[in-house]
Amino acid sequence: MDAARYAELFRTESQEQLAEINRALLSLEQDADAAHAVTTLFRAVHTLKGMAGSMGYTALAEFTHELESLFERVRSGDLIVTPELMDAFFGAVDALEQGVERAQEGGGGVPAMVPVLEQLHELAGGRATSEYRAFQHTMEHAIPLAAAHSVDDAEGILVRVRQSSDAMLPGVRAYMAIEKVRALGTVTAVSPTPDVLQQATTPQAFALRVVTTADAATLEAAIRSAGEVAEVHVATGPGRTRPTVEVPVAVEQSTPGTRAARHVRIETERLDALTDLVGELVIARGRLVQLTAGIGDARVDEVVQTTARLVSDLQREVMTARMVPVWQVFDRFPRMVRDAARQLGKEVEFIVEGKEIELDRSLLDEIGEPVVHLLRNAIDHGLESPETRVAVGKPRTGRLTLSALRDRASVLIRVSDDGKGIDREKVLRRAHAMGFVDPSVTVFDDDALFRCIARPGFSTADQVSDLSGRGVGVDAVQARVRELGGSVELRTMPGMGTSLTLRLPSTLAIVRALLARSGAEHYALPLTHVRETVEATADAVQSMQGRPVLVLRDEVMPLLLLRDVVRQPTGEGREIVVLERGERRVALLVDELTGQQEIVVKPIDAVRDGLAIFSGATILGDGAPALILDVGSLL
Amino acid sequence: MASTVLICDDAIFMRTMVGDILQQAGYEVVGEAETGAQAVEKYKQLRPDLVTMDIVMPDMGGIDAVREIVKFDPAARVLMCSAMGQQALVVEAIQAGAKDFVVKPFQPSRVLEAVQRVLG
Repeated sequence: MDAARYAELFRTESQEQLAEINRALLSLEQDADAAHAVTTLFRAVHTLKGMAGSMGYTALAEFTHELESLFERVRSGDLIVTPELMDAFFGAVDALEQGVERAQEGGGGVPAMVPVLEQLHELAGGRATSEYRAFQHTMEHAIPLAAAHSVDDAEGILVRVRQSSDAMLPGVRAYMAIEKVRALGTVTAVSPTPDVLQQATTPQAFALRVVTTADAATLEAAIRSAGEVAEVHVATGPGRTRPTVEVPVAVEQSTPGTRAARHVRIETERLDALTDLVGELVIARGRLVQLTAGIGDARVDEVVQTTARLVSDLQREVMTARMVPVWQVFDRFPRMVRDAARQLGKEVEFIVEGKEIELDRSLLDEIGEPVVHLLRNAIDHGLESPETRVAVGKPRTGRLTLSALRDRASVLIRVSDDGKGIDREKVLRRAHAMGFVDPSVTVFDDDALFRCIARPGFSTADQVSDLSGRGVGVDAVQARVRELGGSVELRTMPGMGTSLTLRLPSTLAIVRALLARSGAEHYALPLTHVRETVEATADAVQSMQGRPVLVLRDEVMPLLLLRDVVRQPTGEGREIVVLERGERRVALLVDELTGQQEIVVKPIDAVRDGLAIFSGATILGDGAPALILDVGSLL
Repeated sequence: MASTVLICDDAIFMRTMVGDILQQAGYEVVGEAETGAQAVEKYKQLRPDLVTMDIVMPDMGGIDAVREIVKFDPAARVLMCSAMGQQALVVEAIQAGAKDFVVKPFQPSRVLEAVQRVLG
């Protein structure tokens, strides 16, 4: 395993610990006597310290050491939890998070750590320890230890050098130091490279490896004799040493009853590559099935069938491997909600439901930001101030719920609040004023309302914050969700609250789709949105107020012509697909339905450029390209 | 017995200044040179424990002078006096056999540190 891999492991593990720390801080804030939370904090910070130390991330190790001491004092009852202390702890965790992100660059030292620790020490009674002074010193002279990792593959003893912060012509000093080492043995690697070092005009930290019989003391003395050296670290022990990290196995660190399975960590890129290959395989299978269909040889048919089944199994396994529970992203929201609520002077009870629902990793990464947006909007515009709530007879504390639930092939992510709801009249007036809706329209249902506030022009209009409802960035949220092949639904009740639901395919890369032909072109309709298909008979297709409609059983719904949608000149229009999203339905008249197929979704630029009717493209079994219709935009 | 020093610089001001710093610290300035050629000649004659050598001097620069001196006495201890921004020249001087360097404007403490390293 190379250093980069350790670094990646460190990062992933640390993020888990950070999530744990945030969770524990939140429960500590709610209950200052929460012994369990303090123990968790202490342990998580301790784990981080150990890992940072093993990686040689000095600043990070020292910073976590400080936090550990403070948590120890909380645990022993020496330090009393106050709101100010909690704020400072939260601030420290933010700094820690930044440090983890930048651990490889400078030992994890980030500027934010210094004021945060100062504040903590002040609140804790100003007991600056000798370790704290060591930390301050490290922060002043943070050594980028990345250098040490890049000489990992060479033979010899690892030597790390940091020059004095006031070194003159440090490049020359570095050159001299390396020459001094050369006089004692063979230098096998230097990082940064000697050329780069020699050009340096600011004091440097560098690492080298040397094969030598000289002992550590001799090496150190030689390097110091080059002048202006602040720190030399010669790895002890014979020859090459590597940084090591204890990788905790999931079993060890799990709390009782959760996550008991053993796990292997896989880089996301590797998983993506695997998914791409499976996607190609699925396309090839489609072609194989088509090409061999007419051969009429039972043995060929059998092999093709077996292959097809194996590809399906493989695909399912890969897709399952990509699934991660939503808590991996949801877990950071309580903290964000807390901060936003405090900032906006709201009292919020935040409830998270369906944490265990699984979603494709890449989708989950993508929805984090939109969900943050919706949560913020709900706190800012949806929930009333405590005083207002009391005045209208509601509980003082607002309720904000984030839930994940599975619905057939979709996963629904819903943000709902019990706030004041969106003021329809106000949105309608604004929409009239801006010319977004015809003045004759006087009734707005939820979908029309949503279409209106999700219009880019609407949300960027002035006075947005004055709107008693959403509007801020809803267009961005919708655009993102559409790119992912999903849709957004809005429900709002005056005085009762608002909910926004993101409907997402549970896997991103491969979806089942119905293929429809218009003229010579094929289009894919994701099955998530297909309700049923019917034949286009004279009974079914009628006209109402000059517009075509489909009469299906007792229901009447608008009928769109695929050839109009995709601007084909002619078409036969023999079959109809009923598409639905939420409670809205629309019928689509197509020339022919040519089958169902698993398609590999490839993003297309048109989606980003705002071409509203397509959400992506795919390649069909016969090798022909097909565009994927965005059902949401048809409704 | 105090260590002996030969100071080489084309500017009187610099020679005086370096001389003062060293004398105040108890070193004995046994000679001064204004050019590289003079420095080589005086080194052979005086055999000082230490030479301070300006890099840019007329009639043989400091680097060539270092080469000549080291050729004559491989154990010679030469301290280069450089201006800021002369990295490449300093490296060349070190390669020629100089032991250390100080950067102008001189700070007495730094000069003495370097002298001690060289003589140490």
